[in-house]
Parts: sequence; structure tokens; C-alpha cells
Amino acid sequence: MSDPTPTARLLDLGPGRPAIEVLEAGQGAPLLFLHGASGIPEWTGALPLLARRFRVHAPLLPGFGRSTGLELLDEQLDLFFHGFDVLEALGLDRPYVVGESMGGWMAAEMAALRPKEIGRLALAAPIGLWRDEAPVADLFGRVTAEIVPLLFHDQSCQAARNMLAVSSLMSEKDDRTDEQVELLIAIARGLRTAAKFLFPIPERGLERRLRRITAPTLIVWGANDGLVPPLYAKLFAERIPGARLEILDRVGHLIGLERPEPYAELLIRFGQGAS
Amino acid sequence: MKFHWFHLMPYRWLPDDFRERYHSVWVDLPNRLYDPVRGHQLYNEYLDMLEYADQLGFDSVGVNEHHQNAYGMMPSPNIMAAALARRTTRAAIMVLGNSIALYDPPIRVAEEFAMLDVISGGRLIAGFPVGTSMDTNYCYGANPATLREKYREANDLILKAWREREPFAWNGRFTKLRYVNVWPQPVQQPRPPIWVPGLGSIETWDWCIDHDYNYSYLSFSGYKRAQKMMDGYWEQRAKRKVDDNPYSAAFFQQVCISDTDASCEQEWWPHVDYFFNKCLHLYPGMAEAPGYRSEASLRAGVVAQIGNTSGNMGMNKTWKELVDQRYIVAGSPATVRQQLGELATSLRVGHLALGLHIGSAPIELANRSTYLFATHVMPQLRGLAAGHEDRWYPTMLPESGRAQAGMQSDAVRARVERPVHGAAA
Repeated sequence: MSDPTPTARLLDLGPGRPAIEVLEAGQGAPLLFLHGASGIPEWTGALPLLARRFRVHAPLLPGFGRSTGLELLDEQLDLFFHGFDVLEALGLDRPYVVGESMGGWMAAEMAALRPKEIGRLALAAPIGLWRDEAPVADLFGRVTAEIVPLLFHDQSCQAARNMLAVSSLMSEKDDRTDEQVELLIAIARGLRTAAKFLFPIPERGLERRLRRITAPTLIVWGANDGLVPPLYAKLFAERIPGARLEILDRVGHLIGLERPEPYAELLIRFGQGAS
Repeated sequence: MKFHWFHLMPYRWLPDDFRERYHSVWVDLPNRLYDPVRGHQLYNEYLDMLEYADQLGFDSVGVNEHHQNAYGMMPSPNIMAAALARRTTRAAIMVLGNSIALYDPPIRVAEEFAMLDVISGGRLIAGFPVGTSMDTNYCYGANPATLREKYREANDLILKAWREREPFAWNGRFTKLRYVNVWPQPVQQPRPPIWVPGLGSIETWDWCIDHDYNYSYLSFSGYKRAQKMMDGYWEQRAKRKVDDNPYSAAFFQQVCISDTDASCEQEWWPHVDYFFNKCLHLYPGMAEAPGYRSEASLRAGVVAQIGNTSGNMGMNKTWKELVDQRYIVAGSPATVRQQLGELATSLRVGHLALGLHIGSAPIELANRSTYLFATHVMPQLRGLAAGHEDRWYPTMLPESGRAQAGMQSDAVRARVERPVHGAAA
């Protein structure tokens, strides 16, 4: 079965609002996908699998891809309402929202802010909580070569190797092509967006708000997550009323890239209404 | 030409295997390596060096702000400047500077700089750095994506606090104050000269031009590698149709002088080695938080710093390489004179900030260098940049109108300490 290729379009949210690139693929019930701090550089991993069952809408935050307008979002409340603006502009009514890592934080915040507007919620290794005894690793203060072991259980997997290849561009030598320079700047630009809302500690009071979530919620975590320790999986599951927790073994933080099949299967079954 | 004696105040006692055992000199270097008793000696020695520079006729003595590191131990440069204000008499006091976005509220800077200017009788040079990413983002938690906006707002607030003569309200994005009414106000009116140290952001040129601030290019890689940045600055001034006054720019150069070129290497190499290989031992993962620099600056030939800072900073080089490539200007007085003359001509700067203490140098060695500079280099280079008005140097109170520390006369003291009369004694 050949996977549908995504289309990319620019979504104009109106004057004084960000302009957003949205990647879309598949047919079926709508699924709003909120990406993590590395954006969606490629349509790989779990995304094409989800698009076999759902109509996947993956908007990119300002700073990622061709999306612009970060300066129009001052504080986190602006960011969450931006999320609802996108949801409305896409014409989605109580969609199934899947958020990974930073996108999981945003999805949880949106579901707590306006609970009735989120149909179902799946959070894959979301950030947003903090315990001193198990600090979330510093995403903003490490060289890539040291981040990769935190993100992947198997560092020889293709996704990990790709990430390390990019990091080798950040060498002392100044012999990069223009294309490579633009790639590095694109990564820095995306991380800037993440930093704007989450530097230096990715915790802004979400824990107090999680109780407001009413959407049926699935929490998915990698047993070998080195970035956000699995201790947080339990915490999310405890704080969100009725949430279901699934821990996948032999996988790190980027579940969708490292073990797309079992992960996508969980998301699909849950999204189709299985409890 | 003006000469500024600028101190970094490094910690001199890092262990020999420091580089193998610790990944950086900054941010997360455990403070158990710091010995406060040795620190007591160091601070006092370092202040002595600056006071000696004042006695030898340097135009200013300089200090700066850094946090959580062994490279420069002045988290609060204003404390050092206050000590200097009382123990120096002629030199300007250059605080280069206060990272204004880190002070909450930023009127703290307006207050403390005004205090320093008043205590010193108008001798303050006020530095407004953005601050390194390590200091501002990693040590002080400032958001890298908004740091420069916060910096600009702090700048505007401080200027207004020095300008207005009635209380005003400030409704900023980062600072909200119902009543701004800074006491005291600086002696220098309308304000002390403001200098902005720059590292690798090209926007700083326009910022300095817009506000008539001095652009101070701080680099440890020496004047040859600075050519591109300084050329860019002068081109930008030309493009903006403002004058090419050499005093609008300063450059920092590390210098060591000895009787001969050979004795210079012998005396200074261990301390230069300590500086380049320990004090600049930085972890690339914290070189720059995402968003700290603009995309334009990242593209403008400084891309190497996205993932790395140490590439061109002079680590793992021999004495000969550091000297030949002019990371340091080192040698006999004649050698230093010739090379600094070349620096002044090629970079066209009117202000030369000198690093005459380097790395682990003890006070006697640093003071010898200072003495040789003041007697055998400074007089010969004084005439460079002549014929230009220097509006970036303090307008001090006349010496006759300036208070002297310890002014209380013996006669007054005798009256104060007279015996108590009456039965109550």
C-alpha cells in the first residue's frame, strides 16, 4: 500500500496574525497533529501511517517550515489561542488532537483551556511538568551529539543517524554549502520558537490545569525516554481525569520516529474510539 | 588615541587537568573549585593593578560583568567600580558594563551608574552590553528569543530616567512602573558616555549609530581577525552618512611587554597558555541559546558559532602562533609599539582597551608590563587619531572641584576627637 503524500499550503489567519504552513494527507476523520521542537522536516515515521486512517492536518508553528509571525505571539496564552485560531481556520470541530513532546504540552494546555473543543487527546511524551528529583533534560544547552542519546533508545536507527549527520555540519570548519547553512538556520529558527515559550525550564503551571481536561486522553511514553523521564508519564496519567497510559518498550523520546508501527497502532485504535 | 586598562579578573588557580575534567569554564563549572581565601588575595591584587594604572596615566580603568565562571569574576562590576572610584583620582572608570536586560527593574542600572558617576565626580563610562548568551540565558535564565527586545526597552527606560526631571509612568512590555523618579542623577549631563561592547551581532553597528554610542569590539582573536568586523562598522557609518570619527570605536587587545621579545615569551607564556587553554575552555552546547542572535547575524559570516565557539579563539596554539597571528601583541616595547601602531591604523579605532593582565599572571609581572606600556608605548602612540573630537569620553568635574577621598583634615579630626566635657563622661 503506497502512502499518500502530504500537500503543503499556507493558511492565512488574517491581519496581525501569523501565516501558517499546514501539511495535510489522508482521508477520514480529522486528526490535528502538533509537532515537537524539531518540527516536521520529513513526512516519515508515524505520520504516513496515521494518514492511512485519518485526515491528518499538521500545522507548523511560526518559525518552523514556512510559518512566520512568532513576534505576534508574546506569551503562552497567545500561543494557545493561536492553536485555536488554526483549528478554526482548518474548520475542525472537536478533532482528535495528537501532540508530541512540545506539541503534547500545547495540546494539553489547549484541552485544559477550552475542554469542550477537543474531541480526543493523545499525548506522546509531552513536556510541561517538572519534578526537581527528575529534571527534564536541557534541550537548549546541549550539542546535538549529546541530545541524540536522550532522544533514541537505539542510536543506530535511521532517524538518529540523520540527526547526527546534521550535527556534523556544526563543525569548526567553515566549509558548508549555502543549502547546509540554511538548514542549520532553519533548525535554530525552530528552536527559537520553542525557547520563546519554554526556556529555560519547560514548566509554566500546566499541572494546576490538567484537571480541567474532559476529552478522553491517551498518554504514550517510551520506556527509554532520556529527555523526559517516564516518571512524568505517571504524573500526566494521574492528573488528567480518566487518562489511559501506554508505555512502549525499547524506545526513547521520539517514539513516532523510532518505533512508528506500534505507536501508530495505539494512536489509531484510540482515535477510532477504542478505550 | 586613548588607552584603557581593562581587567577580566580571571580565577588564577584552576587545576592542571582542568580541561580534561571539566567541560567548560563557564555556567556549570562547580564552585567547589573556588577558594574564597585565595579569592580575597586576588580581588585585592586586581584592584591594586587598576589603581596602579590610574597612577601611570591610563585614560580609564575598566571592569565588566560575567556570571558563574572562572574566566571573569565580576558578577557585579559596580562593586569594583565603587572601590575604584574612591582609590583612583584621574582615570575614567569604565564599566563595560551592566547587562541591562538582566536588571529587574532596569532603573537599578540608572541608579547605580548615577551613584558611580556622582562618587567619582563624573568619571563614569557606562557600558550597556547585551551580555553573552552564557551569562544572560544560561546563568540568568533570560529568554533568548526576547532578550534583545528586553535590552532595547531597558535602554530606553534608563535614558528616560536620566532625562526626565519629573516622575513618569513606564508601561513597557517587560517593565511596568507607576513612578519612575531616579535619585541620584549623574554628574555628567545629559548622561555619561555609553559604550556598547559587541561580539558578533551586526545589528549592534546600527544600534550604536542610532544612539551615538561607542562601538567596542571585544575579541580575543586579535586585531588581524577583527578587520572584517571593524571594516563592516566603518562601512555602515559611511552608508548611514555619519562621521568616521575614530573615537566612536574601541578595540580590545591583549598585550604583554617585557625587556625583549625573548624574555617576554619566557615570562608570559604560562599565563597566556592559562588564558587561552583554560579561561576560554567553553562548552559549545552553551555557546548560544536558540534565538540569542538574529538570523541576519547568523548568516553574516559568523555561522560557525551556531554550534561552536572555540574554533577561532586561539586554543591549542603555540606562543609563536599566537604572536605571529596577533592573537596577542607581545614582545619588547619596540615590537609592541610597532604592532599597536599597525592596529590603530588598520582598524581606525581611537580607543584602545588593553588586556595587560592575562590569565594567571601575578601582580608583579602585570605591573611591569603596565609600567613599560605607560613609559615606552603610550607616549609614542598618543598622537594617533589626533584632530578628532572625542565625545565618547567622560566630561569630568574639574580636578579642583572634585572631592578627594579622606578629605577630613587633621584639624577637623582633632576637634572631633576632643575630650568629653562635663560629668557625663
